[in-house]
Amino acid sequence: MKKAILLALAGSFPVLAATAETLKINGSTTVNLPVAEAAEILRAEQKMDIQVDTQGGSSGGISMLGDGLVQVGMSSKPVSDDDRAKFPKARFREIHIGEDAVALIVSRDVWEGGVKALTKQQIKDIYESKITNWKDLGGKPQRIAFFNKEPGRGTWEVFVHWVYGSPKAAPQVSFPEVGGNEETRNKVAGTRGGLSQLSASWADGKKVFALGIKLDDGTVVEPTNENIATKKYPLSRPLFLLTNGEPSGAAKTLVEFLLSERGQELVKKHGYLRLRDLK
Amino acid sequence: MTRAWSWFFSFVALATLAFLVAIFVWQSLPVWHHEGWNYLTGTKWFFRQREFGALPMIYGSVVVSVVALVLAAPLGMGAAVFTAEYLSRKPRLAVKVLIELLAGVPSVVYGLLGILLLRNWIYELFARFDLLSGDTLLTAAVLLSVMILPTVVTLSDDALRAVPATQRRAARALGLTRSETILHVSLPQARRGLSAALLLALGRALGETIAVFLVVGRQDNNLPERLLSLRPLLESGQTLTSKLGSSETNIGYGDPLHWGAIVGLGLILLVLTGALTVLGTGFGKRSDA
Repeated sequence: MKKAILLALAGSFPVLAATAETLKINGSTTVNLPVAEAAEILRAEQKMDIQVDTQGGSSGGISMLGDGLVQVGMSSKPVSDDDRAKFPKARFREIHIGEDAVALIVSRDVWEGGVKALTKQQIKDIYESKITNWKDLGGKPQRIAFFNKEPGRGTWEVFVHWVYGSPKAAPQVSFPEVGGNEETRNKVAGTRGGLSQLSASWADGKKVFALGIKLDDGTVVEPTNENIATKKYPLSRPLFLLTNGEPSGAAKTLVEFLLSERGQELVKKHGYLRLRDLK
Repeated sequence: MTRAWSWFFSFVALATLAFLVAIFVWQSLPVWHHEGWNYLTGTKWFFRQREFGALPMIYGSVVVSVVALVLAAPLGMGAAVFTAEYLSRKPRLAVKVLIELLAGVPSVVYGLLGILLLRNWIYELFARFDLLSGDTLLTAAVLLSVMILPTVVTLSDDALRAVPATQRRAARALGLTRSETILHVSLPQARRGLSAALLLALGRALGETIAVFLVVGRQDNNLPERLLSLRPLLESGQTLTSKLGSSETNIGYGDPLHWGAIVGLGLILLVLTGALTVLGTGFGKRSDA
């Protein structure tokens, strides 16, 4: 009896030891796309043991890295001073691997109803529930079903930075919330009058449609790669890999791979801008 | 020797539970200091304004679980009457195994089915009520009712089988028909076990996270003015578990008050499900047959 328990205990230790070699990555679903594919290649070619997860989006990546639960974080927003203050022991290092834009996406009925672009003021009014019907925005009569990206997601941060200047200046609102990109796209596509913020590369133009932004002078800017690269489209954001201090070992291999020509091709493949597109 | 070990392990189990509760209480202390009882009765949750009222989430959890139970109970008990009273041994076991397999399906699978099918069905079915979207408390409740159905069926079946066969035979000998026997002998005698089945199913519904998270809409502060009206069922809401599953747990981390508020939700949930489980097992044990 005793022996059996001791054996069972002893048996579980090698498992613990083995996980120390695993490269663990967590964070933004947006950054996840190229990173997961890079991990796939590194697993096959270099026999590396890599786990990629997307719990909690960018904030999840930052806090799990800060806690030492993962070696690499993925984030679609810079590490803020608040984050640094929360994890005083961590030395966050941001490695820029590409750029993405946040699109305001609508469902098919809204798009076909004639709403193709909004001004910043109109978006603000929707966010503050001053406008609740598409008919006030040039569309057909239909309530606006706004799905707010969860606070803490990179997409949400970019959105409120643009509308309000900083996440802290944004009013607290209570809309239904959505998390990952897949969920957002599905829910907007399946809801009449649907609207949400979504990484532009996920706005496929089939199920959901990306609105243009109407600037003060009346010109409409679409979230095209060109407009994002020239910063004409205002809602763009950097994509980062995060490490605690200089990357080393397996983390270094991953970082170098994503900055290499092949890694950058993966960034492009998933609809984001490569570093050299930004120049 | 065996006795000593069993004492030891019981103690470990109890100590773990006590330790868990202590951690939850300790970690959530800041929010109790800050809000007091208002934490339980407050209706506004705005973390940047430092307002933490959990009532809409308690409401969401309770409504979703109770509606799920109301939907699952008649169906589950009916199925249990069928398996326990009408089926012979072999087909009964086969049906039971199949139903218990349903209980083993991971909840995220149910959640994805909910997103793919149930959301749209509810959205179209209730279209004339002008739903804002298919993410509603009702969607979550229907999904949960499917998930807790196996629990209701299999525990009710056990309760009915526990009624001695001699009782049924006596009833039949007195001239009662089969359905009269079930209605007047089996069901009343199994009522403790049946109540236990319902309570345990309710506990399971309260604690379910991912499936609810995906279809409930996760809208904060949506407490209806009239608690008993049915209309709020067709609107988005937030449950304790969907809040705990959201990215706010990452934002709150490191800020003692906000983190305390999040852990406090866990404590409320723990108390609710714990009470139901204790009540449920207590009901099951005692027998007045």
